[in-house]
Amino acid sequence: MTNHKLNTGRRRFLKTGAATAMALSAPAILRAEGTGAIRVGMPTILSGVVSILGESSVAGAKLVFDEFNASGGLDGRKIELITRDSRAKPEEAAKAVRDLVNGDGCNIILDAEASSGSFAVQEVIKSIGALCLHTVSEATPLSADPALHAPTAFRSARQGIHDAIGGGAYAAAVAKEKGLKRWATCSPDYAYGRTTTAEFMEYAKYFNSDIEVIGQAWPKLFQPDYTEVITRILQWRPDALYSALWGGDLVSFIDQANLYALFDQTETFSVNLGDYPVLTAVEQLPNGMRSGSRYNKVVPNTPENNAFYDAYVAKFGTLPTNWSWENATAATFVIEALKDVGTDDPVKLAEAIRGRTIASPFGVDGTLTMRAEDHTLTGYAVGYGVTTAEEPFMKDFHTSSWEQILELEADWKKRQGFA
Amino acid sequence: MTRSTTRNALIALAALVVLLALPHLGGGEKLADYIIFAAAWGLLATGLNLLIGYTGLISFGHAMFFASGAYSFGAIMQAQIMPVPLAIVAALIITGAIAALIGAICVRLSEIYFAFLTLAFQMFFHSILLSWVDVTGGDNGLLGGIPTPVFFGVDLNQPEHLYAFCVTVTVLAMYLMHRIVSSPFGFTLRMIRDNERRAIFLGVNVFAVKLTCFVLSAVFSSVGGIILALFISGAYPDFAFWTTSGEAIFMVMLGGLTNFFGPILGALILTGLNDIVVTYTDHYGLFLGGIILLFSLGLRKGVLDFVKPGGRKSTPAQPTADAKEATHADA
Repeated sequence: MTNHKLNTGRRRFLKTGAATAMALSAPAILRAEGTGAIRVGMPTILSGVVSILGESSVAGAKLVFDEFNASGGLDGRKIELITRDSRAKPEEAAKAVRDLVNGDGCNIILDAEASSGSFAVQEVIKSIGALCLHTVSEATPLSADPALHAPTAFRSARQGIHDAIGGGAYAAAVAKEKGLKRWATCSPDYAYGRTTTAEFMEYAKYFNSDIEVIGQAWPKLFQPDYTEVITRILQWRPDALYSALWGGDLVSFIDQANLYALFDQTETFSVNLGDYPVLTAVEQLPNGMRSGSRYNKVVPNTPENNAFYDAYVAKFGTLPTNWSWENATAATFVIEALKDVGTDDPVKLAEAIRGRTIASPFGVDGTLTMRAEDHTLTGYAVGYGVTTAEEPFMKDFHTSSWEQILELEADWKKRQGFA
Repeated sequence: MTRSTTRNALIALAALVVLLALPHLGGGEKLADYIIFAAAWGLLATGLNLLIGYTGLISFGHAMFFASGAYSFGAIMQAQIMPVPLAIVAALIITGAIAALIGAICVRLSEIYFAFLTLAFQMFFHSILLSWVDVTGGDNGLLGGIPTPVFFGVDLNQPEHLYAFCVTVTVLAMYLMHRIVSSPFGFTLRMIRDNERRAIFLGVNVFAVKLTCFVLSAVFSSVGGIILALFISGAYPDFAFWTTSGEAIFMVMLGGLTNFFGPILGALILTGLNDIVVTYTDHYGLFLGGIILLFSLGLRKGVLDFVKPGGRKSTPAQPTADAKEATHADA
């Protein structure tokens, strides 16, 4: 009797287990084989204080993919974008990529992770060989350091050293014109903040040897109160201030510094100010702050860029960000390569992307190039402008010379042992 | 070797065979990835439970040992000074030394004071990882991947080899921990947990026992860190952050702290839920938070806390069978 009950229970358990397994696996099978879609995976940050990074990254890629799908896709095959929230954890980003490739059948990864996550993803890509475009990380070594190189990995995002050279040249010129010799910096206390600041000041001094750094403040990431930092900067009495603060931190800093009239007393250069979410979140945007290029409808001021802005706003109801154009660019490279090779084979796609030049609204001359030697993007808008309180929030934009950037970048690479 | 020791060794061997066969029966690499990930977390949680469940010491800083295992192993392999097995042993020795130093200070305290001191040491360790850029890579973690040259025919760059190696190490570590908690030393830990003063009166050197447990707990947790470092070919400061300790404690609570297999079950459940939630929705916090709330309010204790040897349900008021055995053994 007892045995009979046990047997019945075991059979029922096995049947239930099998049915559950079938039910759980069915959607995956349907997705994988029924539609024949080309699957593109995107690990990114969709929760927490920087969720806007993930949201605008998804939107940027989706805008391009949806347009491609609407025009018929690749011989009828549509592109399906599958996202995974890594919660800004490198180990989750690495696992998400493995899941997307091994579980969801994605041969193409758009890695919309911040720096540390992107390094983790790069290592996974080295071992599993999927096509990967890093769409957010600006950390220079990711593509510049040959030790980190992966044959199927590229970067469609800005690169820190490019902005540093362009920004340094601009700052040096303004400093000469206005006699700004005593500089202070205020950047977030982590690798990005320290590296970006060091590189910017290095090139500012390179172009103008009169520049002297008299004080550096390193507030913590996501620090709510900047009073102490602001009063310290005021005590230093600098002629100019450089900041690599970004996102909500930059908004808080500007709002609080406005109370002390900091920006009336010093010329401010903020590499990350010129992004719509920041510009629109600041309560009183001071006129005359100098901002690096992120994304702006008028930089470059071309019908193609204006059309991208309008299409993005119409589709998503929000303003595009720096991450939006970087992901839209990655999506465009993927589509162009797919059209060329007709398959989502990662090695063939990588061959097609390496050294490729695409027509793009974000290129200074209407094109962007994926440099063959280190798989990084060149030709995008680098430079600084002056902020205004009204749309488009930017005027007198100075576009940096790519000839100069590439020359100094090559020299920098040699000094770092990267070339 | 006693009969129960032989039986446990055979069970461990059978578990290893099943685990090795699982990806081939269905699920493939995705299932293998899930098992490796859950195994890494499971070892952290089970190691931590040597302190929480068996000794009554709640450590809020165990992520530092998880990280020290990952970083030590990764840095040694990047330096290319020894093969994988020796690097693992070296990483365990380094972690053991760190744990002995920190444990010697922490185990003199108990309850909330012990918990906060371990938390403080963890944040100190996390700060070192961020600041010592030349060695740790700072915020970016250990850059450039972790090279794993072939040893005894094992190539950890091959997914099948990596999986087999990770589950073998996990089963071995679990078996050793089970031996420890089943030994007289394990019963002494329970006695200290249940009545520390009584243990002192019986002549137990409580400080030495607690310190030994602290070091063993740290070493086994660091094995989890090494597995995760192998899996993602890197080590990151996030490994040592307080939220990692928090997740490990939650795994212990979820699976059950009075059962040896509770923490690893908690790890399997939490990493599994995590996988499902991020696959089907972008609202990670909302869904996982809701599920955790249901577990907390519905169960009020870990899943395996309901199970006692012999299949009977346990009640919170009853002392555990092990505690009774320990009492009898000491009497």
